[in-house]
Amino acid sequence: MRRLGALPLAIRIPLLVAILMIAVGAVASERVLSRLQEVQERQLSDLTDAYLDGLASSLVDPVLREDPWEVFDILDRARGLYAAVRPLETIVLDDRGTVLAASDPRRFPIGSPAPSQPDDVAADAAHVDEEEARAYARRTLTVEGREVGSILVAIDAAPILEERRGVFYTLLASNAAVTLAAAALGSIAVRRMVRPIRMLGTHLTQALDGPVSPIPAAMIPAPGTEVGRLFRSYNALALAIGERDALLARAAEEERLASLGRLASGMAHEINNPLGGLFNALDTLRVHGDKAAIRKGSVDLLDRGLKGIRDVVRTTLATYRPDRELRPLRQADIDDLRILVRPEAGRKQLALDFSGRLDTDVPIDAFQLRQVLLNVLLNACRAAPEGGTVRMTVGAQGASFTASIEDDGPGLPEDAEQILKGGLKPTTDRSGLGLVITSRMVRDLGGSLAAGTSTLGGARITITIPMAAGDAAPEVLHVA
Amino acid sequence: MQRRHRPTRRAVALGMAALAATRHASAAQPGTLRFGLTPVFLSSDLELLARLETYLGTATGYPVELVTRRTYQEITTLLVSGELDAAWICGYPYVAFRDRLSLVAVPVWRGRPLYQSYLIVASGRAARAIGDLEGEVHAFSDPDSNSGFLVTAAELAAMDERPETFFGRTLFTYSHRNVVRAVASGLAASGSVDGYVYEVLKEVSPDLVARTAIVRASGWNPFPPIACPLAYAASAKTDALRNALMRMPGNAEGTAVLDLLRLDGFALEQPGFFEPIRVAMESVRRLG
Repeated sequence: MRRLGALPLAIRIPLLVAILMIAVGAVASERVLSRLQEVQERQLSDLTDAYLDGLASSLVDPVLREDPWEVFDILDRARGLYAAVRPLETIVLDDRGTVLAASDPRRFPIGSPAPSQPDDVAADAAHVDEEEARAYARRTLTVEGREVGSILVAIDAAPILEERRGVFYTLLASNAAVTLAAAALGSIAVRRMVRPIRMLGTHLTQALDGPVSPIPAAMIPAPGTEVGRLFRSYNALALAIGERDALLARAAEEERLASLGRLASGMAHEINNPLGGLFNALDTLRVHGDKAAIRKGSVDLLDRGLKGIRDVVRTTLATYRPDRELRPLRQADIDDLRILVRPEAGRKQLALDFSGRLDTDVPIDAFQLRQVLLNVLLNACRAAPEGGTVRMTVGAQGASFTASIEDDGPGLPEDAEQILKGGLKPTTDRSGLGLVITSRMVRDLGGSLAAGTSTLGGARITITIPMAAGDAAPEVLHVA
Repeated sequence: MQRRHRPTRRAVALGMAALAATRHASAAQPGTLRFGLTPVFLSSDLELLARLETYLGTATGYPVELVTRRTYQEITTLLVSGELDAAWICGYPYVAFRDRLSLVAVPVWRGRPLYQSYLIVASGRAARAIGDLEGEVHAFSDPDSNSGFLVTAAELAAMDERPETFFGRTLFTYSHRNVVRAVASGLAASGSVDGYVYEVLKEVSPDLVARTAIVRASGWNPFPPIACPLAYAASAKTDALRNALMRMPGNAEGTAVLDLLRLDGFALEQPGFFEPIRVAMESVRRLG
C-alpha cells in the first residue's frame, strides 16, 4: 500500500481507473453471460420440448405395442427432421425402464438397462452438462394417466457453449480495449492536470538548494483557477522569502560591523596599553642608550610591545579581511579568538577558560567557523556578570569538530531554542538576531547548534560541525 | 408382448377378412383394375408405381388403381376378400390361402422364377451359420413373408427350435429394406431378408448393404407370385392383366418397369410350383 502511495499521480489515477473499469466490466460481463446462459438454456429447453413433444406423440403407440423397430424407425427419421435440435442420442424405455430402442442401438441395445442420466434432469427442463457439452432431458410417455415408457435424450450443446465462449471472449476483448483506452485517457488527463503541480514541485525543490525563484508570469493561468491562485500564492511566498533573505544578509552585515565596533574600542585599549610602556622604553633608551644592559632591556621591551600590537592587528585583519581565503581551522585560530575577546573580557574582568587543543588542521572553513565561535563567545561575554567566567572547550572527535561555550550568566532567553532550530521570530533584540545569523552559518557549514544549561549556572551552546561535510572542506585541504 | 399376441391378432384379422369378403365381395369397381402391392421391396418408389400404373392401364385397357399397405396381411386380406382384382403377394400367404386364390403369373428373376432367403448380420461378424445367432435380437420382415420369416422358421423347425425361443428377441420391420436397416444400425444382431430385395438394394443403396453381410443363403424358393381371388380366376380383367404381364418384356414401357424391378419378365406356373413353401409351412405348424 505504501509502495502504491509512492507512485506518481499520473500512474496512480489511471491505475485506479483501470481497476474500476475492470470491476465494472467483470460485473457487467457476468450479468450478460448469466443472462445469455438463461436465454440459451430456455431456447434449448424449448427446442428439446418440441423434439420430445414430436417424438412422444408418434411413439406412444409403438411403445404400447413394444415394437422396437417402429420406435427405432421413428427415432431414425426424427434425426433428419430435427437436425436443428442436434440430438446426439435418443433412448426410448419401456414401462420397466429397459431400453426398447435407441437411436444408437449398438450403444444401447434392446432390453439393456436404462443408462444413467444426471440426477437433476427434470421431466420438463433440459440440463446442460458443460463438461460433456451435452444437454440431457427426459419425457414420460403416459396413456390415460398410466406411464407406459419414457424418452431420454442427449442433445449436442457444443454450439451454444461455443456461442457462449465467443460472447465471453468478445466481452473480454472489448472490456480490455475500453479499460486500456480509459486508462490512457486518464493518464493523459491527469498528466495535464498535474503539470502545474509538478512545476511548482520543481521550483520548491530548487528552492531547497538555492534562491527561491518565482514562477514566470507567462506560465501562470488566470487568477480564477485553482492553479492560478496556487501559483500566485507561491510567488508571494517566494518574494517574501527573498526579502527575508536580503534582510538577514543586511542584518548579518550590520551585526558584523557592530561587533567590529565593539572590537575596535577593545583593540584601541590593547594597542594603547603597551604604548605607555613603549614610550617609557624609548625615553630610557634616549637617556641610557649607551649602557648596553639597559639598552638591551629597553629594546626587548619595545620588541615585545610591538609584537603584541602586531598580533592584535593581524588577528583583527584575519577576522575582517574582505577578501577571505579558504583554509582549514588551526589551533592558531583558537588562540586568535582569545586575543579577540580579551578586550571585552578585560572590560568586565571576566575569567576566560579555554581548554582543549587542536593538534592538527581541521578541514572546516576557518573564516566561517571563527566568525561563529567569535559571535557565540562575544554573546557569552555579554551575558556573563562582572567578574564572571566564560569557558570554551574545543576538540576534534572522530569525524566532527565540537566546541562548547559556557557562561555563568542568566541563561538563554525562552525563545532561543526556537531560534536555534531555525524558526524565525521578529525581534528587536540584537542578541536574538545574532543567534539567528549564527545558527544559519552553522547550518551552512552542515553542522548543528544545541543549547543547554552549563554547570557554571548559565547557558551552554554546543556546536558540532562534521569535518567531511561542506563543499569547502576538500578545497580547504588543498589550499592548506 | 408382440410375440405373445401375434397369433391371436392374426386370427382376428383373418376373421375380419372373412367377414369383409362376404360384405364387400363386389366392392371393386367394375371398370377399374385394383392391383395390390405388398411392400416386397421399394414400396416408396413413386417412379416405379407411376410407370407400373401407366403400363398396366395402357396394356389392359382398364383404369388401374394401385393399392399399397404396410403389411402383407392387409393386402392378403383385401385380396382374399375380393376387394382387389389381383395383388403381388408373397408365396407364403398364397400357399396359406391357396384354396381361395388363383395364380396369375410368377416373376422371372435372373432367368428363373426363383429367389432365396438370406440370413444377414452386421458386416465384420464371424457368424457362419444360423446356430451362431442363438439368443440374439433377430429382425424378420413380416410374419407372412416366406423369405423374411418362414424360411428361417422352417430351418429352426428342422432343428426343433422356434424363433421365439431360439432368438433372444424377435422383431418385425414390415419391409425387407427395414430388415437391412435394422441389422446395419445394430438394432438387430441378425435378420431374415428376401435375397432378391437384398440384391437389388446392393445396387440401389450400396452403402446400406455394405454394413451387412450374408451368413447363409437358403435354397431356391418360388418367387412371390401375382395372384387373384379364386372367383376372378377366369375374369376378363384377370386375363387382361396376365396378358399385360406376359407381354411386358416386348414393350418399351414394360421393359422400363422390369428394369426398375430388375426382373426379366413373367412366367406361368402351376400351383404345385409352390409345394416347397407348403412343406416349410407344415414343418413350422407341426411344432405349434
